[in-house]
Amino acid sequence: MEPPADSGPDREGASSRREFIRNLAAISAGLTVAAPLARAVVVTENGIPKSAPPDTGGVQGLTEINLRVNGKGERLVVDPRVTLLDALRDRLELTGTKKGCDRGACGACTVHLDGRRVLSCLTLAVMAQGKEITTIEGLAKGDELHPVQAAFIECDAFQCGYCTPGQIMSAVACINEGHTGSGREIREFMSGNLCRCGAYPNIVDAIKLAAAKMKGGVN
Amino acid sequence: MSTNIIGKPQDRVDGKLKVTGRAMYPGDRQIENLAFGYLLTSAVAKGSIQAMDTTAAEHSPGVAAVYTPFNPLKLYRGLESSEGANSGEILPPLQDQKILNHGQIIGLVVADSFEQARDAAALVKTQYEAEDPVASWEQGMEHSFAPQSVSGENATVKILADGVRSIDDAITGSPVVVDATYTEPIYHHNPMEPHATTAVWHGDRLTIYDATQGVVSHRLNVAAVLGIDEDMVRVLCPFVGGAFGCKGSMWMFSPLTAAAARALDRPVKTILTREQMFTLVGHRPALIQHLTLGASQDGTLQVVKHDVRSTVSFSKAFIEAAAHRTSRLLYKSRNIQVSQTLVPWDVGGPTFMRAPGCAPGMFALECAMDELAAKSGIDPVELRIKNDADIYPGRNVPWSSKNLLECYRLGEEKFGWSKRNSEPGAVRDGDWLVGMGMASALYPAHRNPASAKVRLQADGTAQVSSATQDLGTGTWTVLAIVGADSLELPIEKIRTELGDSALPPAPTSGGSTSVASVTPAIQKAAESAKKKLIQLAARDKKSPFFGMKVEEIAYRNGELAGGGKSADFGSVLSAIGRGSVEATEMAAAGEEEEKYAFHSFGAQFCELKVNRWTGEVRLHRIVSVMDIGTVVNLKAARSQIIGGIVFGIGMALLEGSVLEEKTGRYANANFVDYLVATNADVPNVDVHFINKPDTIFNPVGARGIGEIGITGMPAAIANAAYNATGRRVREFPIRPEKLLPMSPNQPAISMSGS
Amino acid sequence: MRPFVYESPSSGQEATSRGSTDSAFIAGGTTIIDLMKLEVMKPSRLIDLNALQMRGIEMREDGLRIGALEKMSDVAVHPEVVANYPVISEALLQSASAQIRNMASIGGNLLQRTRCGYFRDVTTPCNKREPGSGCPAIGGENRMHAILGTSSSCVATHPSDLAVALVALDASIQIQNGANERLIKLDDFYLVPGDTPDHENQLRSGELIAEVHVPRLPWARRSTYLKIRDRDSYEFALTSAAVALDVDGDKIRDIRIAVGGVGTKPWNLPKVREAIAGKPLKQETFAAAAKLAVDGANPLRHNGFKVDLVQRTIVRALMNLGDLT
Repeated sequence: MEPPADSGPDREGASSRREFIRNLAAISAGLTVAAPLARAVVVTENGIPKSAPPDTGGVQGLTEINLRVNGKGERLVVDPRVTLLDALRDRLELTGTKKGCDRGACGACTVHLDGRRVLSCLTLAVMAQGKEITTIEGLAKGDELHPVQAAFIECDAFQCGYCTPGQIMSAVACINEGHTGSGREIREFMSGNLCRCGAYPNIVDAIKLAAAKMKGGVN
Repeated sequence: MSTNIIGKPQDRVDGKLKVTGRAMYPGDRQIENLAFGYLLTSAVAKGSIQAMDTTAAEHSPGVAAVYTPFNPLKLYRGLESSEGANSGEILPPLQDQKILNHGQIIGLVVADSFEQARDAAALVKTQYEAEDPVASWEQGMEHSFAPQSVSGENATVKILADGVRSIDDAITGSPVVVDATYTEPIYHHNPMEPHATTAVWHGDRLTIYDATQGVVSHRLNVAAVLGIDEDMVRVLCPFVGGAFGCKGSMWMFSPLTAAAARALDRPVKTILTREQMFTLVGHRPALIQHLTLGASQDGTLQVVKHDVRSTVSFSKAFIEAAAHRTSRLLYKSRNIQVSQTLVPWDVGGPTFMRAPGCAPGMFALECAMDELAAKSGIDPVELRIKNDADIYPGRNVPWSSKNLLECYRLGEEKFGWSKRNSEPGAVRDGDWLVGMGMASALYPAHRNPASAKVRLQADGTAQVSSATQDLGTGTWTVLAIVGADSLELPIEKIRTELGDSALPPAPTSGGSTSVASVTPAIQKAAESAKKKLIQLAARDKKSPFFGMKVEEIAYRNGELAGGGKSADFGSVLSAIGRGSVEATEMAAAGEEEEKYAFHSFGAQFCELKVNRWTGEVRLHRIVSVMDIGTVVNLKAARSQIIGGIVFGIGMALLEGSVLEEKTGRYANANFVDYLVATNADVPNVDVHFINKPDTIFNPVGARGIGEIGITGMPAAIANAAYNATGRRVREFPIRPEKLLPMSPNQPAISMSGS
Repeated sequence: MRPFVYESPSSGQEATSRGSTDSAFIAGGTTIIDLMKLEVMKPSRLIDLNALQMRGIEMREDGLRIGALEKMSDVAVHPEVVANYPVISEALLQSASAQIRNMASIGGNLLQRTRCGYFRDVTTPCNKREPGSGCPAIGGENRMHAILGTSSSCVATHPSDLAVALVALDASIQIQNGANERLIKLDDFYLVPGDTPDHENQLRSGELIAEVHVPRLPWARRSTYLKIRDRDSYEFALTSAAVALDVDGDKIRDIRIAVGGVGTKPWNLPKVREAIAGKPLKQETFAAAAKLAVDGANPLRHNGFKVDLVQRTIVRALMNLGDLT
C-alpha cells in the first residue's frame, strides 16, 4: 500500500497558500496585484525607491505573467528575477521539480519547454511565457502513468527519488529525441542528470524498456 | 512463513509518489505565511568578525529579520555524545564573533520570498579580523594527537605472536614485504537533496520538517539547542533525498531556523545551497594510511601493520576508523597492529560518510594485498583465500555467518577472472589498455534497540509503524514486506508509517542498521497483535470464537481458525465492534553479541580501460558478490549495492574536495568542480547475493546493505588500473596525470614536461 | 541577484540601441542567470534577444552560416554541419548536457565566461571581475587553469569547446551595432588577458554577435574534436583538440588545428599547421609538431601536466583522424 504523500499536521494550510503568496508578494513591495506590468516603483537594493530609468518598455519590480503549465493557464505576479524553478515550486506549488544545485550543474530541475528538455533553474519565469511548460506533475494521464514513469518503478530506477522527476523528464525527451540507439548513447544523453544514489544502470534499463513500449505509439 | 515474500524482487511501495513528483521532501512543504531563511556564511577560515553592516539588507524589500552575532537568536550548546546525542556540532552559531572555519554560519536573513532573502543576504557587508588557518597536513601534524579509543579499542591495537617483541621485528623477519602509503582527500556526501528545515510553531509546540536520517535523534538535539523539552518537538521526514551520512547528525542551521520562526511568529524554511553543503554538514576526513604487509614466500601473511592519520576539526572530534575496522580483522595473521592519529584542521566538523572507516581502510588494505600478490607472484584471489580468517583475530570468536570464500569463487566465475593476464600493460584494445582488478568488501553488522507498532484493522488492512527513516534505502517497502510476511498478508494490505518522531522510537538510519534493527521489532509486534486478537476473539460474546480457549485458536494467513471455524481478522474485529487491535514491541540484540562477530562480506571485480595516449580511466564492467545474510527485497538490495559501487567509482576516479592551504576554503565547492559520477561513467554492473540467513544476528537474518557496496570498489579500480598500465597510483582520485606517462606501454613519442 | 529591468526588443537594431555598460543581453541564459545568482554579473537591465531574427543554419557558396540565436543542440545535429564539419558537431555534442544545449545559443556559447572558481566566488579577489584586486588562482588551486596566453593578472581558461572548433576552421563572426555590421575573425575576436583581463573580446558596449561564418573547406569532412576530461561526460575540458586533416596518400596536404582547455582563449596553432603540412602521414610528424603547441607555455603548480597532456591529445586526435591506430 502506498504511503501518504503528505503526512503531518500542516497540510490543511496549503490549499489557500497560492492565492496568499500572490497577495503577499505584492503587498511586501507596496504594490497591488491588479497592476499588470507595474512600473510605478523600482525598489533598489537598499530599499529606497528611485525614479524609474528611461522608459524603454521594460519590466521591473513586480509584474503579472502568464504561464501555461501542464496544459493549464497560470497567472502570477512575480519579480523578473524569479526563475521558472522557483515560480513552479514556491508560487504554483508544483514541488515535484527539484532544486539540486541552482547552478545548472545537476539536472534535478529539468522540465520541458515546448517539448524540449531544459533547466528551470537557469530559465527566468518571465521568459517562459508563451511556451508550453511540462513538469513531472503533468506527465501522467490521470491515474495512468507515463510509460517512462512505469518503467522507472519496474526497473527500480531511483532510490531516494530526489533526482527522479528531472531524470524522468530528461528520459522522456531522450526517447523523443531518438537517443536510445544503444546503452552507450542513452548513458551519454542522460549524463546531464546526476543521481547520487547511483541508480544509473537501472535508469538505462528503464529507458530501454519505455522506449520499446513507446515505439508502439503509447505516448 | 506462507506469504513467501522476503527475498523476492518487490517494487517500492513509495514508487508511484516518487515518479509523479508527489513525494513531499522537507523542502517541499507549503505552509501558510511561510518565510524563507538564507544563511550568511564566513568568507574567512579563522579569526573573528569585527563588524557586520546589515542596514541595506534589513531595508531590502520583504525582509523580516537579519540575525547575526550582533543581533543573535539565543541558542544553547548541543548535547555531548555521552548524553545519547547525535549532534554534528556542539557550538551554536551567532553566540559570539569567533570564526572557526570557512563557510561557518554567521547570520540568517529571513524574508517573504526565497529571492528576497537570497538577494538581501548579498547586501550584508562583513569585516573580519582574519588569522592564518591550519589547513595542511604539515601544519596539522604539529597539533596531532592519538584518540583515547577507536571503535571501542585502544588507539593502537597490537596482536603479536608468542615470542615476537614488536611488529617491526615481525616485518624484518618476513621474506616478502609490501610497504606503501595511500592518501585520499576530503570527500563530501553531496546527496542530491540539499539539507532543508521547515519550522512551524503551534504555540510553544514545534513541528519541524527536516531532511534527517534520524527523526527521534533530531528531536532530542534540536530541543537541547533551543532549550526546550523534547516532548514539545515533533520531527517529520517521510522522504529524504539521499543522505550517505551527512543527514545523520543535527546541524545547527536547523535549530537556528526554528529559533527564527519562534522569534518572528511565522513558519520559516531554510534550504542550504549546494555551496553551503560543503561547509555546514560534514565530510569524510582526509587520510594518509601507511600499510605494511609481511608474508612468507607462499603468501601466508605474517604481519599486517596499518597506521592511519585522519583529519579532524579543531572544533569537533571524529574518528575515521580506517584500520580498526579493516586490517584489524579481515585477514588471518600472527601479527597485527593497527593505530590511529588525528590531525586537526580549521574546517567544519567531519562526520560519517558511506561505510565510515571501511571505505578508506579497504582502499589501503586491498591495494596493499594486490601489491603483495604481484610481488609474490600469487593470484590476488588465491592470496585472499589463503589468508581468510575463520575466527576474529585476538578475540577468538567466530563470525555469526561468513561466506566470503563463496563470494570469491562465485565472483571469479561470473567475472571470468581466469582470463586475466597478470602481467601489467599486456592487454590492449586499440588505443586502450585493458586491466582487471578485484578486492574484498567488508562492513560490520550492527543492530540497535528499536520499536515498532503493528495494528490490525477492521477493514482487513494492517498498519506497521516505526520512527525509522527511508533515505532511498527502501525502508518504506521493507516495513511493508516484513509486515506482510509476519501477518501472512498480501503486501497491498499493509499500510506503513515512518519518518515521524511521534511513532514508536527507532534508531537513526546509518551504518546499515535499520533493517537489522527494526524488522525484529515488527515481527515481535505482529506476534503480540495476533495474540491480542486471539484473546479478544475468545473473550467477546459477539466473536465467532467466543468461549474457545486461546490455544485452540490459530492465526494463519490473515485469518483466525479454530473449532472448525475460520474468519479473517477484519470480520472478527467488525463482529466484536472493534476498530482495531494493536501492539507495540521493542527488540534489541541479546547475549549473542558476546559470542560472535558480525560482518557482511563480499568480493568485487572490475574491468577497465585506460587510454594509452591520454590516461583517462573508463570502467567497462563490474561484478559484485555479496554475503549480507537474508536479502529482504531483491530489487532494492541490488540497487543499494550498485549505489555503493557508483560511490566507489567516484571515490577512486573523480571526487575529492580541494582545501586551499592558505585560506582554508574549499576551492571546488559546487557540482561543476566536485565531480560525482555521471550516467556515462557507470558500466554494466552484475550483482549476486549468497543469500544465507544470519539468524544468529537477528530473526530475519538480514545484516544490512547500505554501505558494503562501496568498500571494495575503490581498491578494485586502483588494482585494475595497475593491471592495465603498470602504474600503481596510491593517491586518490586517480586522474589522467597520475597515470601518465605509462610504463611499459607508453606511446612511443617523446613528450616534454613528462 | 540584483534587481533589474527586463526588456524584450523585437529587432537587433533596437536591442543594440538599448545596450550599455550597465546592461546585459540574455539568450539561453545558461551563463548569465548563473552568474547573476552568484552576483558576479549585476546588470541593471537585461535585454532578452529571443524575439530577434538571428536564426538559420545554411550552407552557402562561401561556407556555413549560423544565426547567433540558434541553439547548440540544433546546430550539432544539422545535416550540413554533420556532413561538412564533423568537428563542430562533435565539439557541441561534447559540451555541457542535453538540457543546456537545448537552451544555450551559439552566440552565447562563444561569449560564455570562464569557469575559474575565483572569478565565480565574489568573496575572493579576481582581476577579471574586479580589475586590480589580484589573482588568487596563480598561487592557489589551478589544476583547471591555462598554461598558454596567461599573464600575471589572469590565468583563467576559456571554456568553450565550440570556439576551439571554429577557431581551427578559421571562422568569423558578424557583429551588429545598430544598423552597422562588421565581420571579424573569431581568433582575433578573443583577447589574451594581459593587464586587462576584464577585456575578454572585441565586443563593444551594446554590440551583438549576429552570425557565425565558417569558410568552405571541403576536406573538413575529415575533422574531429577530441576532448579529454576526468569524467566521461558533462565536464569542461582538461585539454581538447579540434583538427581537420587533408590527406594525399601517405602525405599530409594540409591541416587545421586549435586546442582548448589550455589557453586563456581558444588556442589556434598556425605553427603546428605549418610543421605538419606537406609532411608524411605518421606519428613522428605529429609528435614533433605537437611540441610546438606548447611554445611559451607557463605551467602553474597544479596544471603542469597539461603541457604533456595537450601534446598527447593532439597526437591522439591526429592518429585517429589519419587512421593510424
